[in-house]
Amino acid sequence: MDEESDMTMPLKIDARTEGEETAVLSLAGEVDVANAEQVRDAALKLMSGGIKHLVVDLNAMEYMDSTALGMLVGLQKRMKESGGEVAIAGPKPQIRRLFEITGLTQVFRIYDDAAAALKEVRG
Amino acid sequence: MKTSTPDQVEIRIPRRAEFVRVARMAACALASQLEFTYDIIKDIELAVGEACANAVEHVSDDARDEIVVRFSIDSTQLAVEVFDRGQGFDPARAAEAGAASMENWDDPGGLGLVVIREVMDELAVDCDPTSGTCVRMVKRRSR
Repeated sequence: MDEESDMTMPLKIDARTEGEETAVLSLAGEVDVANAEQVRDAALKLMSGGIKHLVVDLNAMEYMDSTALGMLVGLQKRMKESGGEVAIAGPKPQIRRLFEITGLTQVFRIYDDAAAALKEVRG
Repeated sequence: MKTSTPDQVEIRIPRRAEFVRVARMAACALASQLEFTYDIIKDIELAVGEACANAVEHVSDDARDEIVVRFSIDSTQLAVEVFDRGQGFDPARAAEAGAASMENWDDPGGLGLVVIREVMDELAVDCDPTSGTCVRMVKRRSR
């Protein structure tokens, strides 16, 4: 954030681990060019702690843009390289459509909710 | 058909990421007044956000630089022009940008254009190294 302003974006990030190698990153609010980095940093912190499978729960996400999508693709690249995966859970129709129109349904498995995603990524 | 000069609303925001949301909110407010459906209002918000994000990502060294967002409204459509003074990007990408994949993810600006093209009815990008970049997009109003 620039020192000249104190503008904030409505974003809440909650991380919880599910065993040693799996975590759920729940995002609520909005992610765009201004704050996508916060989400990336939270995910990288989990990865550095040994997480290989990450469920990104978008159930409470109201808005995201292509910068946020790019951040998620970058995370997916890293996860795949370490033998893991980023899975998407619970996107609202407007956000699911964003994945569809950008072709990212080929890059992420998308589940109706976090529980279904966890079941799959854990194998 | 009745023709008249479009009503115009113009906002100027600093060319910084944290102000993109201000342009998005303005787009939502205006689209709401024009009685677009909720889904279309969200599409317009997304398109304006993507265009402004493009402008931010191609930022110049001039900290005073700004983005101008001009909304033009008439009985048939809402047109939005997003101007900035940066060098922008290759306008050919507006025509060529395709779907994202793990392999080609080095071009987020291109993906933003994919999104705009999908959610708006018209998209044109004009880049000039000296005067800057203008992204023009249109959403038609149902009659």
